[in-house]
Amino acid sequence: DVLFRLLLIRDSRVGKTCLLCRFTDNEFHSSHISTIGSQGVDFKMNTIEVDGIKVRIQIWDTAGQERYQTITKQYRRARGIFLVYDISSERSYQHIMKWVSVVNEYAPEGVQKILIGNKADEEQKRQVGRKQGQQLTKEYGMDFYKTSACTNLNIKESFTRLTELVLQAHRKELDGVRTRASKELALAELEEDERQTGSP
Amino acid sequence: MDQSVAIQETLAEGEYCIIAVQGVLCEGDSRQSRLLGLVRYRLEHGGQEHALFLYTHRRMAITGDDVCLDQIVPVSRDFTLEEVSSDGELYILGSDVTVQLDTAELSLTFQLPFGSHTRMFLQEVARACPGLDPATRDPEFQWLSRYRCTEMEPLPRGGNSALGTWPGCARIGGGRYPSGEGRWGLEEARLQGWALLCVGGVVMELPGFLLAEAAAGADPWGSAGGAVRRRDEELEEAAEMSAAAGSRDRDSSGGSHLDNLRPNGKGLFVDQSSRGQDKPENLLTRQTKSKLEITDMVRSSTITVSDKAHILSMQKFGLRETLVKSYLMQKEEDYTYIQNFRFFVGTYNVNGQSPKECLQPWLSHGIQAPDVYCVGFQELDLSKEAFFFHDTPKEEEWFKAVSESLHPDAKYAKVKFIRLVGIMLLLYVKQEHAAHISEVEAETVGTGIMGRMGNKGGVAIRFKFHNTSICVVNSHLAAHTEEYERRNQDYKDICSRMQFCQVDPSLPPLTISKHDVILWLGDLNYRIEELDVEKVKKLIEEKDFQTLYAYDQLKTQVAAKAVFEGFTEGELTFQPTYKYDTGSDEWDTSEKCRAPAWCDRILWKGKNITQLSYQSHMALKTSDHKPVSSEFDIGVRVKNEELYRKTLEEIVRSLDKMENANIPSVSLSKLEFCFQNVKYMQLQVESFTIHNGQVPCQFEFINKPGEESYCRQWLNANPSKGFLLPDSAIEIELEIFVTKTMATKLNSGEDKIEDILVLHLDRGKDYFLSVSGNYVPSCFGSPIHTLCYMREPISDLPLETVRELTLMPLWTEDDGSQLENPMEIPKELWMMVDYLYRNAAQEEDLFQQPGRRLEFEHIRDCLDTGMIENLDTLCILHHSVAEALLLFLESLPEPVICYSAYHNCLECSGNYTASKQVISTLPTFHKNVFNYLLAFLRQLLENSEKNHLDENILASIFGSLLLRNPAGQQKLEMAEKKAQEFIHQFLCNSP
Repeated sequence: DVLFRLLLIRDSRVGKTCLLCRFTDNEFHSSHISTIGSQGVDFKMNTIEVDGIKVRIQIWDTAGQERYQTITKQYRRARGIFLVYDISSERSYQHIMKWVSVVNEYAPEGVQKILIGNKADEEQKRQVGRKQGQQLTKEYGMDFYKTSACTNLNIKESFTRLTELVLQAHRKELDGVRTRASKELALAELEEDERQTGSP
Repeated sequence: MDQSVAIQETLAEGEYCIIAVQGVLCEGDSRQSRLLGLVRYRLEHGGQEHALFLYTHRRMAITGDDVCLDQIVPVSRDFTLEEVSSDGELYILGSDVTVQLDTAELSLTFQLPFGSHTRMFLQEVARACPGLDPATRDPEFQWLSRYRCTEMEPLPRGGNSALGTWPGCARIGGGRYPSGEGRWGLEEARLQGWALLCVGGVVMELPGFLLAEAAAGADPWGSAGGAVRRRDEELEEAAEMSAAAGSRDRDSSGGSHLDNLRPNGKGLFVDQSSRGQDKPENLLTRQTKSKLEITDMVRSSTITVSDKAHILSMQKFGLRETLVKSYLMQKEEDYTYIQNFRFFVGTYNVNGQSPKECLQPWLSHGIQAPDVYCVGFQELDLSKEAFFFHDTPKEEEWFKAVSESLHPDAKYAKVKFIRLVGIMLLLYVKQEHAAHISEVEAETVGTGIMGRMGNKGGVAIRFKFHNTSICVVNSHLAAHTEEYERRNQDYKDICSRMQFCQVDPSLPPLTISKHDVILWLGDLNYRIEELDVEKVKKLIEEKDFQTLYAYDQLKTQVAAKAVFEGFTEGELTFQPTYKYDTGSDEWDTSEKCRAPAWCDRILWKGKNITQLSYQSHMALKTSDHKPVSSEFDIGVRVKNEELYRKTLEEIVRSLDKMENANIPSVSLSKLEFCFQNVKYMQLQVESFTIHNGQVPCQFEFINKPGEESYCRQWLNANPSKGFLLPDSAIEIELEIFVTKTMATKLNSGEDKIEDILVLHLDRGKDYFLSVSGNYVPSCFGSPIHTLCYMREPISDLPLETVRELTLMPLWTEDDGSQLENPMEIPKELWMMVDYLYRNAAQEEDLFQQPGRRLEFEHIRDCLDTGMIENLDTLCILHHSVAEALLLFLESLPEPVICYSAYHNCLECSGNYTASKQVISTLPTFHKNVFNYLLAFLRQLLENSEKNHLDENILASIFGSLLLRNPAGQQKLEMAEKKAQEFIHQFLCNSP
């Protein structure tokens, strides 16, 4: 019923390709050929139902390297953005700030953002503290999810959450869709009323 | 976007927009957009008529509110719509289709968009034309009378005027009519339902059958409108998303270069005796790119972009939903379980009477409260008024009587109500089940007078209860003992003509047989035959129903498979329900003294149905029939919401997966390309392989945002686009070749060997390939003054110095420069001229024979490294050095005679003194170079006996090198001649 685009933004190697696979196919490929093929723009389709509305989502994943920024900005026309860092990489966390400013510069107004600390399963390699994620969340007013593509932690939750946020942001356009969804029920109620008034 | 849906919203019932196309109405010079909709109307007596509805519209019509009816052109016998080709004009593929619409009254010209949709439209229109067969009736277009004016006029009743010919076209005043918002009002429905019949020369008026439909409270357009809006949103979204892709496609077509049209191939220093000798730049150019693709122009047109959006949204989405539905159907058993519901089915022929007694004995006595009530009546009203005006007070009376007599233990909600003259069917469900009733539709079929009228026939209600589809039919079949074959035929007619709309208007209508459960009740009118009345009555008295049943027509007809095939009926354990004296239980005592018969019956078809009772109700005495009832336990498929959600999710997930697997994907053998020490005019090639995955794909290097070509000028991918079959591979060569136009900027650092290529897969991913490398600065492409300031060979200088000197403005020489003493002329020029002067002054055809590519590279390296002595020790062709000299002059960013002096020189080309004057105004280094070169050329002419050179040859070679048009590549013959003349003077005269 509704179709829109979500974008994954991240540094290289924060496990986003795995995230993409989890989001869409609910699969996890641990042995991912990381470099070849990760340079560029990839997308996958996903369909979920939120609040009675069928939502078709194109999830775009763009190369994170700085040198591609002038090219990737054209792909940023999304309704919602996942900002992803790797909890085992301090650097990827630091870069979130940079990504936020890039997003603010290029993304359309009203774009919804959500912060994701991925690789939560690699607790032993953790470099970014729990509080740091929360802190960014406060600073930028974003929701925060600690996820793991490996253990499927919070994948669906974060995904659904961002979709909800986008739907909320476009509530007005969607009101029509919602009323139609409840149409059948309304029909039955109507008939019942008729009978009550029709009876003596 | 199929705009016929928008049109459909504005149409009345029975009218169907087959296809719509958006075109341009051409009237003189005016061009106005019109939506053309081909509308079909099915006539009551069979057959159909068509008309072309023309609408003005805003934007792309999506709902009925977007269109406004402008004109109707009935598709009559004299109607033609033909494609016209404009004479003398070249037919351009992809251009609009001009069509001419002609009728007896008018002639219109339209331009329709190129493409298959327009083709389809024209085909449909052609099919709609009534043809010239005199056997078929002339279309009358009665149905269009509603559109004649905005106010509804009463239809003329009777008289020939109504049958008169329809005026050729009707123009509508303003405002669209009717509104597509609600269901039809009663008034409209009745008028619409009028049909005029000509029987034996007498014009009769008969009411149509649509009142019951209108009164029944269905809202078919409401749901259809919803579907339309929903699609519309998908479309807009999809269009937006594809816009990015579309614009990329457009960009890529912009990168054509005039250079590419040069015919010579890739090789350097090829011996081509046929080439023009006066154009030395041809010697060393090659075809760099072949981006000019005619196909691009077609692909990048806006029509194609919108087509793409179309494909992305409509078809794909429609397909997807259908797929989900059919998978759900396939897996129904996974998420449903069977639950029994109690159905009460009753039939009662009331013989035109009003309810006089309580119906509880029939409807609720002695049974537990059923979940569903299906109650049918026949002969509800036998008056003429009911027949003609389709309006009867009995409807309300019996509806009330039934509603009051439903089982007191439960609350019921009325689901649907349908009536055809005297045949009425009511459907109630327990209130708590109301939410599980969906897709309710009701229809009627008349089989009476003329085989169409509503005095006999059937009505039906279909619905979905939980996940099971159910159809309830109430029929009143033909009367009289001997007419059993008519009854069989009525049954068949009801089956074939009863059609229910589907929620999805694109799906074919449903018929009775396409339901999980069919309950058929009614006065089927089958009699008992071959027994005299007394014998029948005696058997009844003895309650020997079994013996009697053997003579029942319905039994024998079913056994003969002539009717109700596949249906089951319970055992008849009650006495015939017809015909009694009204108000009693006595058999018919009238003159006719009809034999008793089981007229009123209940049959069923489907799985999981158990009949619990089948009986008549003698207590009711209002009619000459007794009511019949039957209780059933029907196993209905009920969704387990949890399992349903899971199944649906699985299906959606698997479709997503399938879709994602169908996104083209390739693997590239290499993503980073580094070109070391790129040199002037020295080809470097790196190759990589694209291995395709499982999906056929089309790949192409596309332009980056804001760029006009997919890569920098010095780079080329070969091939730059192509098609790959599954599992196949292709090798792509990335070629770097720096020519004069790029060399200066690479020297100055304004350009670098750095680029990112975007390899785009159609409908798929984009891959980024990064190209990097370093350029080795060369004297080729360096300005004259820069070279004069380079006392060292260029390769010995730090890159920074080369950059600074290259960027040094031309006129800096006079400001008492702090730079060390410049040389008078570039040493590289001196090296080549000196070499030729020493070795090749007598060489035959000097400057006219091609050099060798490899030797050029040696010469370049010698000049750039200052290894002048190598030039002599290398065994090279003199012609190679001569050509290098020409190349050197050609690659100067500022020609020897500066661009600013170009026009002056041409002007005074006949005047030697003035010419010398112009030369004296050149910057010192340029002046030096000019004088030096001319002195050398004059030296060569002294050996003309040996080298066969003369002034004309040299003037033609050097004219266009020393004097270059600042405007660029365009070469005017006149200007070239003058340039040659200018040089000619200096060759003939000593300074």
